[in-house]
Amino acid sequence: MKVAMIGWEYPPFKSGGLGTHCYGLTRSLADKNVKIDFYMPKTKHSTGSDRDNLIIKEVGQSEIFPYDRPEDKELVGQFFENVYRYNDLVVERVKGNYDLIHCHDWLTMKAGVSLKEKMGVPLVLSVHSTEYDRSGWLYPNDWFINIEREGMEKADRIIAVSHFTKRVIVDKYGINPNKITVVHNAVYQIPEGQKQEIVLFLGRLTIQKGAEFFLRAARKVLDYEPDARFVVAGTGDMLPRLIDQAVILGISNRVIFTGLLSEEEVKHIYGISSVYVMPSVSEPFGITALEAISAGTPTIASKTAGFSEAFRNCLRVDFWDTDEMANKIISILRYEPLRNTLVEEGKREIDLFTWDRVAEKTIDVYNGVL
Amino acid sequence: MTSICMYFEVHQPVRLNRFSVFNIGTDADSSLNYFDKKLNHEIFEKVAKKCYLPTNNLLLNLINEFDGKFRISFSLTGTFVEYCEQFMPSVLDSFKKLFATGAVDMIEETYFHSLSGLYDDLEEFEEQVEMHRQMIRRIFNYEPKVFRNTEAIYDNRIAKKVGEMGYKGIITEGTEKILGWRSPNYLYRSINSDIKVLLRNYSLSDDIGFRFSTRNWPGYPLTADKYASWISRCEGDLINLFIDYETFGEHQWTETGIFDFLSHLPREALKHKQLDFVTVGEAVDIYQPIGEIDVPWAISWADADRDVSTWLGNDMQFACFNELKNIGRKLKEKGDDKLLNVWRRLQTSDHLYYVSTKGLEDGDVHAYFSHYDGPYDGFINYMNILQDLKQKISLE
Repeated sequence: MKVAMIGWEYPPFKSGGLGTHCYGLTRSLADKNVKIDFYMPKTKHSTGSDRDNLIIKEVGQSEIFPYDRPEDKELVGQFFENVYRYNDLVVERVKGNYDLIHCHDWLTMKAGVSLKEKMGVPLVLSVHSTEYDRSGWLYPNDWFINIEREGMEKADRIIAVSHFTKRVIVDKYGINPNKITVVHNAVYQIPEGQKQEIVLFLGRLTIQKGAEFFLRAARKVLDYEPDARFVVAGTGDMLPRLIDQAVILGISNRVIFTGLLSEEEVKHIYGISSVYVMPSVSEPFGITALEAISAGTPTIASKTAGFSEAFRNCLRVDFWDTDEMANKIISILRYEPLRNTLVEEGKREIDLFTWDRVAEKTIDVYNGVL
Repeated sequence: MTSICMYFEVHQPVRLNRFSVFNIGTDADSSLNYFDKKLNHEIFEKVAKKCYLPTNNLLLNLINEFDGKFRISFSLTGTFVEYCEQFMPSVLDSFKKLFATGAVDMIEETYFHSLSGLYDDLEEFEEQVEMHRQMIRRIFNYEPKVFRNTEAIYDNRIAKKVGEMGYKGIITEGTEKILGWRSPNYLYRSINSDIKVLLRNYSLSDDIGFRFSTRNWPGYPLTADKYASWISRCEGDLINLFIDYETFGEHQWTETGIFDFLSHLPREALKHKQLDFVTVGEAVDIYQPIGEIDVPWAISWADADRDVSTWLGNDMQFACFNELKNIGRKLKEKGDDKLLNVWRRLQTSDHLYYVSTKGLEDGDVHAYFSHYDGPYDGFINYMNILQDLKQKISLE
C-alpha cells in the first residue's frame, strides 16, 4: 500500500498535536509495511525520516501555522494567499502511483480534494481540530469552516481524534456519522524526573487552551498551599494578557511564564511537575495530557476534552469551575495516596496508548476505502 | 431432598455531599452537612418504587399461593431501615407483612454495613452487630440465628467471633479459594468454631443477578422451568441463592422479564419432587456440616477476585480506612455520642467501594453503583470529610 500524506508540520518543529500525531502515525505505518510520502511545507528547521518506507517531501517555502488566526486585515490577505499557494504547490508536486491520499485538518484539505479528483483515488481526512475548537466557540470564522466542510464532504472516510470531535463533525458540519471513525491519539512516553511542588500548564496560549482559568485556580490554591509554584509553559497571542492577569491576581511571584520551550525543556518540565492541568475550553483530544501522565504527573483535564473520554485514571473538571479545579490541585498536592494511585494506575493505562495501535486502526480505515 | 435457600440483601448507603478542601474546618456544625439527604431520598424512593414495593408484593402473594412452601430470607441494613422510617414507612410495613407469614427469616449483620469486621480488634464490630440486633428486635420482635457480614466478608477470626456471639450459622461465598474441589451445596463448619457455614452457589446466584438479561450468554433467555431443572440436577443438601435484592426491577429492569421469572420460580421448582424451599434458619437446623473450611485471609462475594480488594485494593482506600480507624479510636476515648454516630455512618463500606480503581468488567460495575465521576473524585470527597471530622475532634 502506498499513501500520499499531506501535513504541515513534523518534528523537530511542531506547534501542536497534529505534528506529534503525524510523526507517530507515519513511523508506525512504515513499520507495518505501508509506504508513505509525507508532503509538508519547507521550514527553516530541517527534518527527516528514520524509516525506509517513509519519505519526507518538503514543498515550497511557507511560515504559516495551522493554529494562526490573523486579526489584522492585511495579514489575513497574505495568510490566505500563503495557504492557497501551498495547496497549489502540493497538487503540482504529488505525482506517481498512490493508492490513496490522506490529509490532516483544514490547511491541507484543498490539496487533498484536488488530488482526489485529479488522480481518482480515495481521500482519507484526519480531523485533529475544527474552527470551532480553535476559536474556543467564540466567533468561528466562516472562511475556515467552509474549507473544512468541503473537505469533510469530499473525503471518503474521516478519522476523528475523539467522539467529542466526531459529534462536532456531525452536528456542526452535517456529515454522515457512518463515514467517521474515532481513533484516539497515542504518546511516545517521557521519563519521570525529580518531582517538585510544581503545578503545570503547557500549551499554546490561545483562547482555546484556557490558561486564564488555570491562573484563577492558582490564586485559590495559593491561599491554602502557599509553597506551590505554577508554571505556564508555551507562547501565544494571550501571553501579555496572562502576565497582566497574574499581576492583578497578586500571584506573579508564584507563577513562571517560560515562553516557548525546546523539546528537551518540555520533557524536563513534564518530568519534575507534580500536577498537570489542561483546562481547555475546547479540546478535540489533548496529547499533552498523555505526555504528562507518561512522565508520572497526575493530570486534571477539562471534562469535554477528547482525552477525558478515552482515559480513566485522571481527574476531570469543567474548565470554568476554578473552585473545583483548585480543590483537585490541592487534593493532589496534599494527599499522597491520591498522587501515588493516579501515577501508578495512570502509567499502567498509558501503555495502551501506542502509535502502533493508532497505525493499526488507521490501516483498517484505509482498507475500508480501497 | 435438596433445599433451595433464597436470601436477599437489602441495603442503601448514606451517600455524601460534595465536600471540597475549602469546606474543611469552616463550619462548626458541618458534620450535619456530610450526608446528601436529598440524593439519598430520591434514590430510595426510586428504588422503592421499582424494586422494594413490587417485589415484596409479589413475594407475599407467592408465599400465600404456595401456603408457606415458598420460603425466603432477608437481611436489612440499619441505614436501609432508617430510610424506610424517614421516607417511606410503607416499605417497612411490607417487610413486616412478609415476616408475619412465618415463611420469612431475618439475617443479622452490622448495622452500618461496615468493614468493622476487618478492624484490628472486633469491639466496634460487636457494637454494630448489637445495634442491628436491637433494631430487628424492635421492628420484628425477633432474634436472628444466622449472620451475614458485609458483602459476605468472612475469615476465621470473624467466624469465631460470630460463633461466640451465639449465632448458629454464618453466610459467605462458595468460592473455590476455600472449597477447592468441594461443593458449595452443603453446610460446612468453621475450622475454629462450631458455627455452621452457608456457602453461596455463585454460579446459580449470578445467573439471576448478573447474567439474566445478557443476550450473548448461552443460558439466555432464562426461564423459571429451565432454571428449576438446572437446580434439580444439582447434587447436595442445600442450594444457596444469595442475591442483591435490587436485582429485581433495578439492576434487571421489569422489561427483562425478571418479575415473570420470579413469579414462576416456586411453581417450577416445586414440580420437582426432590426440591423444597427453606429459610437460612431452617437450613442450619435441618442439615449437618459435611466438612470444615479454613479461611485465614478474608473472602467476600464481591467482584471477580472474591476477596476484600474491592474496598482495600489501592493506596487511597488504605489511607481512608486507616484514617477512619484512627478517628474512631480518638472518638471512643472522648465519648462524643453525636460525632460517634457520624463516624459510624462514614464506615458504610460503599464509601470505600466508590474509591476502587479496579479495571475492566468490575470497574463498570463500580461505575454503575457510584454517584461520583470515578474513584478519584470519590476519594477526594470522602477524605476531605474525614479531615474535617478529624479537625472537629481535636478542637473539642
